[in-house]
Amino acid sequence: MAREATRRGVLAAAVSLPLVATGCRGVGGLGTPPSPLPDVAILRDAIDAETLMIARYGAVMTTVPALADSLRPLVRQHREHLATLRARLIEPRPSTRPEHPPSARASPAGTHVPSTPAAARAYLRRAEQAAAQTLLSKLTAAPPSLAQLLASIAASEASHALLLEPGRPDG
Amino acid sequence: MSASPSPPAAEAARQGAGLLAGRPPARAAAVRALQTALAAEHAAVYGYGIAGAHLGGARRHAATRDWTAHQAARDTLAAMITALGAQPVQAATAYRLPFPVHTRAAAVMLAAYLEDRVAAAYLGLVALPDAGLRMFGARAVRSAALRAVGWRRRSLAFPGLELPAPRPVRSAPGASKPAAGSSSPARASPSAPPTGQAGG
Repeated sequence: MAREATRRGVLAAAVSLPLVATGCRGVGGLGTPPSPLPDVAILRDAIDAETLMIARYGAVMTTVPALADSLRPLVRQHREHLATLRARLIEPRPSTRPEHPPSARASPAGTHVPSTPAAARAYLRRAEQAAAQTLLSKLTAAPPSLAQLLASIAASEASHALLLEPGRPDG
Repeated sequence: MSASPSPPAAEAARQGAGLLAGRPPARAAAVRALQTALAAEHAAVYGYGIAGAHLGGARRHAATRDWTAHQAARDTLAAMITALGAQPVQAATAYRLPFPVHTRAAAVMLAAYLEDRVAAAYLGLVALPDAGLRMFGARAVRSAALRAVGWRRRSLAFPGLELPAPRPVRSAPGASKPAAGSSSPARASPSAPPTGQAGG
């Protein structure tokens, strides 16, 4: 008898969970597919932007090998950005989206990578400034903790742009 | 703290008062976040005074410039808090430094340390629902990160979220032996306090 009561209690608890998760709207709530969270689109864009940035650095380091040593710490930080952004992304259907987006978005293919060190650094500096600005434009639409992450990454990218200024070979 | 806010501070105060009129919970959260940022600015103003005393030449000039920037930010925050109907937190008479500052290298390290803490404090504003305060906080995080780069000569991956433990900064040419510090980096919540108050 006591065991039966316990089992009923467990079943009741199990049934009540989906109701809690759907805001206690009852059976009707269960039939509604979950709408995409607003931060998923923001995260995807930020992930694409970081992937593109890493590809840009890779292209510059290939074209101007003399810059490789000074650029490596910056690339490493972009990889940290990318890993942290990816860790926050929970996609409902991962198969619909390749892990590495098509080259049109994720690689600087078709973009002319300057061949002189100064021009290559200026190219990356502009890319960093634009990326930071794009992140800030997403700030108000993001949930609080994601907004903090975006603001932090934007500050990091603005720091990269500063290190890439002319006369700062230690970037 | 100056008795009358500077023009940018007055403008910020007007903005702060207008943005949050009639929303008590949002106002309380905004005041808390602004007070945290103000406390960090008080600590930075104090800390730059110590750092500047151990620096010379271009470094001293940079310390004076950043000290002035923190004073202006402090006045802006105080005006914003006042406009929201709250009493701005006061500076402590003295602050406990995170490590001994007797050398040029330690002074440079202290400046970078202060900027990391200021960035962390402003990140609290970025979590607020108000769009204007979010952007204000994000711009301040960026400014602190850029000043930190000036001292540390390298960037952080996550300014404000990443609080490196104090350690030697290898940037000042001819710098004397830096103060010892822990080598393990630490992560802290965006609301982490800046340098602790003396005796607190």
